[in-house]
Amino acid sequence: MNTDPATAADRELEIIAQAQQGDRRAFGELVRRHRKGVVNVVYRLCGNANLAEDAAQEAFIRAWQHLPSYRPRSPFRNWVYRIATNAARDVLRRERETVDVDAISVPASNGNPEAALETTERSRTVQQAVLALPPASREVLVLREYENLSYQEIADTLNIPIGTVMSRLNYARGKLRQSLAPYFQEEL
Amino acid sequence: MTQHVTARLHAYHDGELSDHQRRQVDTHLAQCEACRAELETLRQLTALLHQAAAAPTITSPDRFVAQVGLRLPRRPAEPAWQRVLKVGWRLTPVGLLGAWAFLQAAFLVSGILLGALYLGLGSETWAGLLPASGSGSWLAQALSLSDASLSDIGQVGAQLLRGGGPLGWGVTLNRASSVLIGLLYLSWLASWWASRQHRPGLIKTGSF
Repeated sequence: MNTDPATAADRELEIIAQAQQGDRRAFGELVRRHRKGVVNVVYRLCGNANLAEDAAQEAFIRAWQHLPSYRPRSPFRNWVYRIATNAARDVLRRERETVDVDAISVPASNGNPEAALETTERSRTVQQAVLALPPASREVLVLREYENLSYQEIADTLNIPIGTVMSRLNYARGKLRQSLAPYFQEEL
Repeated sequence: MTQHVTARLHAYHDGELSDHQRRQVDTHLAQCEACRAELETLRQLTALLHQAAAAPTITSPDRFVAQVGLRLPRRPAEPAWQRVLKVGWRLTPVGLLGAWAFLQAAFLVSGILLGALYLGLGSETWAGLLPASGSGSWLAQALSLSDASLSDIGQVGAQLLRGGGPLGWGVTLNRASSVLIGLLYLSWLASWWASRQHRPGLIKTGSF
């Protein structure tokens, strides 16, 4: 069923207003809507699915605590992503030694085992390359490439100037082109 | 050939350019193989990044929502200053009404008192508060203008201003304060009405 984006946005504003008044069920609906995005952002930043879920839960709890100060000038998604990136930073600080990028789980694919192995290997290599980026560049790259945020939205989410967003993005892409060079050579 | 657009290729790839800038880059790309190759690399990188798996689902969405619900504190933490501000905002019309009533009462009492003194009902001691006869009456001054020179008119004008205008300070202040209070109330009403535009309806969601 298709929903008009304007209606969906109004509906979300209603739910946010109810949650701001302390309605837990309304907040539950917000968690349901943004769970996947928040978990993915944290997962891309820290590389561990269990830690990502813990950090995502922590992010939603912080969002609940600070919800009265949220103003719908910017999308709720971007606001909660800001909290999620902070939660991811905390996780990385706490669990620096325990994050094992080799243990990254990759869904198995059906069909040719060799192709599946290659897909798995490629997926892991890409994740490792992303995780090897400096955290500041990684945050910008994840929000742009995986969450499709605009430069301005990333600047607002991370509270940095838009010029910094562009330079960090260029830097991250440059590093990835170096570290993932073999895959480019294959395809060019 | 036009100058290379390397610096703009990331923004082009991310859809961040204006229509005019995009057309400029398009024109350059049509004739520059190096920039086309650079753009293709960016596109390949994006495609490659999307081959990295998304987060595997460890906890089902319902269970995740329930777990967050269990960890929530009782109420969102609202700073004390915000609560005070909110109560103050709600009480604004009452405060404005109270201020208006107080001012009206003060003007009424002072009017009655002055009226009584003019009628000679007060003691001689209180009569000292009245303005000196002639100089305090704007009407008498206005009537005397027929014989006045231009410099006299200026003096009378200054006298009127010192006395708070033709109606006197009392009435002028009364009107000004009423208008000010009225404007403040209308501003509050407009803000209240605007905030009501996003008043939430009832939602029916699953348990949390």
